[in-house]
Amino acid sequence: MEFFERFAVPHPSPAIYASMVVIGLSVIAIIAGLTYFKKWGYLWREWLTTVDHKRIGLMYLISALLMLFRGGVDAIMMRAQLSAPDNKLLDAQHYNEIFTTHGVVMIIFMAMPFIFAFMNYVVPLQIGARDVAFPRLNAISFWLFFMGAMLFNISFVLGGSPDAGWTSYFPLAGTEFSESVGTNYYMIAIQISGLGSLMTGINMITTIIKMRAPGMTLMKMPMFTWSTLVANLIIVTVFPVLTVALTMGTMDRLFATNFFTSTNGGMDMLWANLFWVWGHPEVYILILPAFGIYSEIISTFSSKNLYGYKSMVASMVIISVLSCLVWAHHFFTMGQGAAANSFFSITTMAIAVPTGVKIFNWLFTMWKGKIRFTVPMLYSVGFIPLFTIGGVTGVMLAMSAADYQYHNTMFLVAHFHNTIIPGVVFAMLAGLTYYWPKMFGFMLNERIGKWTFWLLSIGFVLAFFPMYITGLDGQARRMYTYSEATGFGALNMLSFVGAGIMAIAFALIVYNVYYSIRYSPRNIGSDPWDARTLEWATNTPVPEYNFAVTPQVNSIQPFWDSKKKGHVLFPAKLDKIHMPNNSGMPFILCSIFFVWGFSFVFAIWPLVILSTIGIFACLALRSFEKDHGRYISVEEIIETEEKTGGAKL
Amino acid sequence: MKELFPVKQVMGFVFSLIFTAIALSVYFFDLSFAAGLTILIVTAFIQAILQLVVFMHAGETKDKWAIYGNVYFMIFIGLITIFGTLFLFIWDM
Amino acid sequence: MKLDHSQPLEYSTGQNNLNIFGFWIFLGAEIMLFATLFTSYFTLEHRTGSGPTGAEIFEITPVLIETILLLTSSFVIGLGIHAMRLGKQKAMISFFAITLLLGLAFLGVEIYEFVHYVHIGAGLQTSAFTAILLTTLGTHGLHVTFGLFWGLAIILQVKKCGLTPETANKSFIFSLYWHFLDVVWIFIFSFIYLKGMM
Repeated sequence: MEFFERFAVPHPSPAIYASMVVIGLSVIAIIAGLTYFKKWGYLWREWLTTVDHKRIGLMYLISALLMLFRGGVDAIMMRAQLSAPDNKLLDAQHYNEIFTTHGVVMIIFMAMPFIFAFMNYVVPLQIGARDVAFPRLNAISFWLFFMGAMLFNISFVLGGSPDAGWTSYFPLAGTEFSESVGTNYYMIAIQISGLGSLMTGINMITTIIKMRAPGMTLMKMPMFTWSTLVANLIIVTVFPVLTVALTMGTMDRLFATNFFTSTNGGMDMLWANLFWVWGHPEVYILILPAFGIYSEIISTFSSKNLYGYKSMVASMVIISVLSCLVWAHHFFTMGQGAAANSFFSITTMAIAVPTGVKIFNWLFTMWKGKIRFTVPMLYSVGFIPLFTIGGVTGVMLAMSAADYQYHNTMFLVAHFHNTIIPGVVFAMLAGLTYYWPKMFGFMLNERIGKWTFWLLSIGFVLAFFPMYITGLDGQARRMYTYSEATGFGALNMLSFVGAGIMAIAFALIVYNVYYSIRYSPRNIGSDPWDARTLEWATNTPVPEYNFAVTPQVNSIQPFWDSKKKGHVLFPAKLDKIHMPNNSGMPFILCSIFFVWGFSFVFAIWPLVILSTIGIFACLALRSFEKDHGRYISVEEIIETEEKTGGAKL
Repeated sequence: MKELFPVKQVMGFVFSLIFTAIALSVYFFDLSFAAGLTILIVTAFIQAILQLVVFMHAGETKDKWAIYGNVYFMIFIGLITIFGTLFLFIWDM
Repeated sequence: MKLDHSQPLEYSTGQNNLNIFGFWIFLGAEIMLFATLFTSYFTLEHRTGSGPTGAEIFEITPVLIETILLLTSSFVIGLGIHAMRLGKQKAMISFFAITLLLGLAFLGVEIYEFVHYVHIGAGLQTSAFTAILLTTLGTHGLHVTFGLFWGLAIILQVKKCGLTPETANKSFIFSLYWHFLDVVWIFIFSFIYLKGMM
């Protein structure tokens, strides 16, 4: 019995028991459903073993949407708790757990997979490649992310959720003040999915540098591909920092070392330092691909070439360097001197310059364009003013002397939500609507989409703008309640109303998917938006080999040129196509990783050793395996091309 | 037999031994901290570049701009991380 | 699979080129990994608590032996790749085997060193300094250990299949990894040991 006691939740509540029941029932329902409809074989052959970048992209997308709703429920609970002074809905411990998991889930298990979904699905199509450089590694990346996310999510029914904030500052996150296994989950789950992100970074850089279609020089790459390249360069640069920091944190918690403790020379500030060396570039990893998506959408729906292509590229490259030079602005109040604070203050403000360049480029792209206000374009147009407000408050926070007033208040919370929601979430929803027809062969309903956009924007403003005011008045973040005398009650109630409106908007997205599956027309062709880049030059649904013939590129908008200027996109003849084989290895390897992570969290050492051996056995088997892929014959290609909308040769 | 030992690589090896010996001087002679550290920085980076160019053939393909670019970018950000942290915690705290 | 005979075997297919390039990007990540360890080391270097300082526990002899062993092994694997490009499979396998033996000897000395540290009261839990010292050395040591198994797998494959585009590609990538470990060691040697004993 003693062995099982460690899995008990240390601070249970009816809500947690209810979710245990819900999780149990849904697992049973999924297993029963798969068995009843005899879909196990289909699931294994078509999805679990796939190495196709498009299917992996879709799996990232589904995971990201699921996590969006999990993190969203956390958010609603927080706003509900704060909606009135001295509210008793949640106690301090639950509130701590909820804001911790909200942050981790939204950044690492929602935003990251969401951008990976688009990178995976779109980039190979945009550069005219058949797949990514290392298709099997790509599958491993996905499954590592997925297992990390699942490991993190079982924490609240087995052993307790982490409760030290998404930044997990020591000494709070040390064993002395965080006794439950919650923070172990944090360390190990993020470690596993971070490994996956690093591999994706290597994969995407190699793909973009080495596998572009003939004629596509670096300066003729579509903007989303450029942003992916830069974002992945940052991933490869900073994820190793997180790996080291998490390893040291894990060792402190499990092996009683003294990296971040307050005794024997330990230095808790070093954790904050390393965390933000990763953490600040991380937000640029998220926002740059979002910028890329906006660039594609604004150019398409303004019916114009992107204005200032070269300055767009240059500003992203500058951002990539600057993003690694600013991390100390997250802890101006930690006690370093004025010289260090001034340096990091100035570098932080400098980032506003390249970002401003990009804002103006988007405005000039729309200038005198023939603008079509579709749903993706609405999100992009809404993004510009809202994101600029978030950016300007960022410059306010960058002033180190003034930051002593803003630090750790709701002002900061308002600021980063003001950049992340219009910046990243709007971009993801815009990208989702924009690429939906390419992914699934029908459009999302425009009318419901516009309702969603307006509700989301209004809800966002109502939810977060009041926080600027309460923050300046001194409301601290991460406090589970406040007294009536503070006078924060009314504005917090307004925030709660805003959060409720946002929740309605997200529910509308689900309804839109359902509605569009039932009623949207299916005969939309392969280019429903009249777009400009290569991903729209393939058939819909996209055949597994993407392009029957490798396209020839002449400019940054080869597909537009082929439609309007008679550019010949597919000059070559059909030939057999080499494709990689599916493999069960990534899924099995990462399942063992899950067992490894789980046993590490609970310090079950025999199982850790066994699963470590299992992981290396998988790697060794892979090394000795002979798999040269397969060929798709010309007859098969012709057959597929005709089935998917006529050969484009 | 002789063809198995190309001059370039043998020279590379000899030079890395020489630079190791020079670095060792900081242990055997009583140098000031600044002088010692300067010697270590110079010898370590020369040896690293020696390995990169002579042994790792970093510049032999047409991707050499990307390979060198990536390595130098990482070294640059790595140094920023090291010196930025020292700036925060040692020199200005 | 299209073979390009104008290139050395390890570059002869498209996938081979991708593999080598991807591995270089991975080495970039490794640079940052060790840079972070050095960041932490330099920050915690003098935070010895009640434990010993670096100058008190470092010894020049084992460190020098380790350095010579690893430098030589890096040179020898370079010769192995040279032999591979000449198509001399036997010489290549011998060079690779010598490399791994030197690596094994390095690991032996390092394990001796670790046991010695623990013995004189500089264990993992003693202080922030000993923790980061053993973690940095240990991360490098684990890389070497992993390399020993990896190298062994590659020797077996070259023996079994001969020098094919695939095995040549794997061997070349392994040599990049091994040289990189030597570079890391040069920095550990200079900025942990020599700087500590200066």
